[in-house]
Amino acid sequence: MLREDFSIQANIRRMLARTDIDASQMEFGTVRGVVYIQGTFRLSRFNPSWDSDKVNQFAVNTLYLLEKKIRRIPGVSDVVFQLNNWKKEKGHWFHVEMTKEDENK
Amino acid sequence: MKPGQNPIYRHILDEIGKMVQIHPNYADLQNQLALLLMVEGKMERAEIHLLKAIRLNPKYGEAILNLGFLYMETKQWKKAEEIFLSEAKRRPRDGFLQHVLGILYLQTGRQKEAAARICKAMHCHSHYRDYYREKGVWQRGTIHLDPKAEAALKRILLYPYAQFHNFVGLNLAKRGKFAQAVKELKKAEGLNPDEFIFHANLGTVYYYQGVYSKAIQEFQKALRINPLYGMGYANLSYVYGLMGRFREALRCMDKAVRLNPQYADLHYNLALLYNDRKQYRKAVLELKKALRINPNYLFARINLGVLYEDQKRWEEARREYRKILRITPDDEHVRKRLERIS
Repeated sequence: MLREDFSIQANIRRMLARTDIDASQMEFGTVRGVVYIQGTFRLSRFNPSWDSDKVNQFAVNTLYLLEKKIRRIPGVSDVVFQLNNWKKEKGHWFHVEMTKEDENK
Repeated sequence: MKPGQNPIYRHILDEIGKMVQIHPNYADLQNQLALLLMVEGKMERAEIHLLKAIRLNPKYGEAILNLGFLYMETKQWKKAEEIFLSEAKRRPRDGFLQHVLGILYLQTGRQKEAAARICKAMHCHSHYRDYYREKGVWQRGTIHLDPKAEAALKRILLYPYAQFHNFVGLNLAKRGKFAQAVKELKKAEGLNPDEFIFHANLGTVYYYQGVYSKAIQEFQKALRINPLYGMGYANLSYVYGLMGRFREALRCMDKAVRLNPQYADLHYNLALLYNDRKQYRKAVLELKKALRINPNYLFARINLGVLYEDQKRWEEARREYRKILRITPDDEHVRKRLERIS
């Protein structure tokens, strides 16, 4: 049975609060089990002594984990990421520079 | 253990202190640091940061109130009175300010003025009438300010301490330390059970923890105190949604939308609930409202396209899908949907 989109939304809201993600600049929506994540991805907490490579690796791991957790929510059939600053190509996450337009959003 | 000796408190104080150094022009941070210092009894330093916060944002109500309470705590009655009178002039319908002025006058032995302010508080909001009756201040249509009632009212002076525990609780919740956050928020609630936001915050933490029955209880308490708190209804709706109680979820989200008709996100969520209940016409109406508020609300547009498709309104569905693909040309789901009906 197809689970309700609303309960998927409520689940994602709860799940995001339990991750290392600053969701204040992210939006999410659900359309018949397909979850859309948009906006700017930022970490809410990481070790301040890490260099930028370590922070990027942590961000990549957090993104994989986020996708995995969302897919585990009952009723979710797919996850579509439309982020300004991270792109997934052939299964790998890449950091991308944001456009001026995105930064001003 | 005094807050100053608490390791969590020390950690938060260090962190906020560093943040203030990096962003000295953030009024919010100045206010948070002041609150932490106040609780530790460092009133002079707290005053400096509160004054900075107010200089940065002269309309920053929470910082102004904290400064007023700091002056009450340090028995600088005249300064406290000036602050609360000026705020009460600015917000004449705010019962809380009248209530605080009443207590300030009680503290300084000005019984008549205290009684007048208590009356005003009751006129501002019926909640105060119930509150004063419960505390024994309002009996059979008259005000009684005996020592017992006075003592009950003076609990309001704990306001900054309650704010402190609330702040620490929220900070812990942000770090994912939900069990500790609950403890702090319960302390805040214990010090000031009449503050709806403490109940609402506790409800939110229970929701994140997955303790849904307690979350419902706390949101309901918040809404009993402040029935106009729209986000409380929205959060209650999410919890009901997770419990599969969709009829209650719909009722609460509908109330949230009525109280906050300008929030596109709430219209969107109400549309999802109507859609899940197969009330498609209502769902379309809500999505259109969301899009009127925010024409770039992509998920609302995709949902609208899908609903048009369900109703065999092919042209309207195609129109919505084309609009989406102009913004996000890589959306395979939408492209496939468009191809299927083209």
